[in-house]
Amino acid sequence: MRLDGDDMLIGIKNASKLIGISIISCCAVLVCTMFLNFYLDVQSIESEITSELSMVFYNAQVSTAKVVCFVSGGCLLITSVIMLMFYIKHYIDTHKKELGILKALGYSNLKIAKNFWIFGISAFIGTVIGFIGAFLLMPKFYALQNADKMLPEITVHFHPTIFLYFVVLPTIFFSVLAIGYAWYKLHTPVLLLLKDNLQVTAKLTKHRAEKSRDLSFIEDLKKNTLKSKKVLVFFIIFASFCYSAMTQMSFSMKDLSSEMMGAMILMIGLVLAFTTLFLAITTVIRGNTKTIAMMRVFGYSQKECCKAILGGYRPISYIGFVIGTIYQYTLLRIMVDIVFKDVAGVPVYEFDLPVMLISLVTFIIVYEILMFVYSDRIKKISIKEIMID
Amino acid sequence: MIKVKNIIKSYGNGESRSQVLQSISLEIKEGDFVVILGASGSGKSTFLNIISGLERPDSGKVFYDGVDITALSDDKLTAFRKENIGFIFQQYYLLPNMDVDKNVKMGADLASNKDYKEIIEAVGLREKLHKYPNELSGGEQQRVSVARALAKKPKVLFLDEPTGALDELTGRQVLDYICKLKKQYGFTIVMVTHNSNIAEMAKTVIKMNSGKISGTYQNEVQKNAYEIGW
Repeated sequence: MRLDGDDMLIGIKNASKLIGISIISCCAVLVCTMFLNFYLDVQSIESEITSELSMVFYNAQVSTAKVVCFVSGGCLLITSVIMLMFYIKHYIDTHKKELGILKALGYSNLKIAKNFWIFGISAFIGTVIGFIGAFLLMPKFYALQNADKMLPEITVHFHPTIFLYFVVLPTIFFSVLAIGYAWYKLHTPVLLLLKDNLQVTAKLTKHRAEKSRDLSFIEDLKKNTLKSKKVLVFFIIFASFCYSAMTQMSFSMKDLSSEMMGAMILMIGLVLAFTTLFLAITTVIRGNTKTIAMMRVFGYSQKECCKAILGGYRPISYIGFVIGTIYQYTLLRIMVDIVFKDVAGVPVYEFDLPVMLISLVTFIIVYEILMFVYSDRIKKISIKEIMID
Repeated sequence: MIKVKNIIKSYGNGESRSQVLQSISLEIKEGDFVVILGASGSGKSTFLNIISGLERPDSGKVFYDGVDITALSDDKLTAFRKENIGFIFQQYYLLPNMDVDKNVKMGADLASNKDYKEIIEAVGLREKLHKYPNELSGGEQQRVSVARALAKKPKVLFLDEPTGALDELTGRQVLDYICKLKKQYGFTIVMVTHNSNIAEMAKTVIKMNSGKISGTYQNEVQKNAYEIGW
């Protein structure tokens, strides 16, 4: 970190670590741009629709575009915002001393916080890629949406407002949010920033010890790891939710939609799930490097370290899987029963148990493989880590 | 009990390579109180890390009751540390999110020691059982570190500048606790320090300079923590 105030406190290198936000915003913008563009383009042909059947189909397409835009866009936007805030807090937590020195030297919170605008770049990169990707996929998407030729030909148009809403405004929003949140977080007194771990237990409640008194150290550490970064619990739930919802949805809706839609949903689900899971677990391990190193010094085995640090997330991931299953079923039920209720020939939709079971088995296998990979990473943590401050 | 043969250790590569330990050999008897005395950069901490199984030498061997720990796999070395070794560091390295009880339990669980609270009491921290490290003074944190190390009932206790971050009074208190507990439990002590006054508490003093042992002697009289200078 450079201490000359007019230079950047945080560089592109830091923003590059926010790849999770780039990927999520890319997915959000890709889906939303395609559907919103389709929504606007399909509206332009409304006057050309003559038959009642086509009108019903048109209304269903418009409703689908709106639902997908709101649900996917909203869900992914919230996740991106949470992820950004988590990263800023994490950045401040891991750079407490440097930030404390700057504050001690007299730099104001706002002056330091202004440097966090660069975090908006991660959103910009993601939204631009998503926007371009959407336009590349759009001709094929339009053709598939109107495969039965129930509507007049729909032409792809560029709508500058979409670019404004999905690229320019999110970039500004994320930059402003980064500055605002950093400014809020920097209100910590200088001494607390300078002295590591000083505020760690400030939030711990009085009833903390009673229940955990009889637990073993490993069990207690497992609980503590979960409690210490609740937002990571959210990310694990989100990752398994994405995996569960998107894999099941992509196969369950094969009769309801095109193969392309299914493949797109599957791809987005897997990208979101793996990105989030990777970021969450990497953060868990990095945040506990010294604890792991200390455990190894004392003679705890690799298996015990993994159990204490990663074991607590396993049941959480299954909760995410269950929520994802319920979500995808509810969403498809709504689509079939409400959005397409007047459309003739819509297949009957029932809960697809085999798909759910296959999805669950693959989820367990993938999750356990990931845990195995990360346990190997834990093994590689040098026990001298504790001596490096 | 501990036999060290021709330990060599270097750091860095090419021109920046420097030999920190230059063929060190020695023997430490069971129950001994050994102080490794040396200035900063003399290689004493590296030596401590190697004989305690935290680090591997470039060459040479470390035997514990005839077992060469430098030949053990990582997993076996971890198991060896679990059963035999206790550590106390200058910077305490307590787990910040765990209270005193849980920090000591970290050591106690490894030895299935259910009576670990006796040690917490012995280091005078009974009243602080549910305090967190940040709620304790430096001396209290080091006492937790002592209790944590002893709760796993080690055969050998390694201490790396245990009073380096403490003021005189607290430093003496901590050393006093360690000596009393040594008498009670009978473990071997290997302590690294740059403070020659502390060496007067030891039975055996090993002086190190530039990666070599420059001298070894036995104290005829071992002083206690309040008798030494500071």
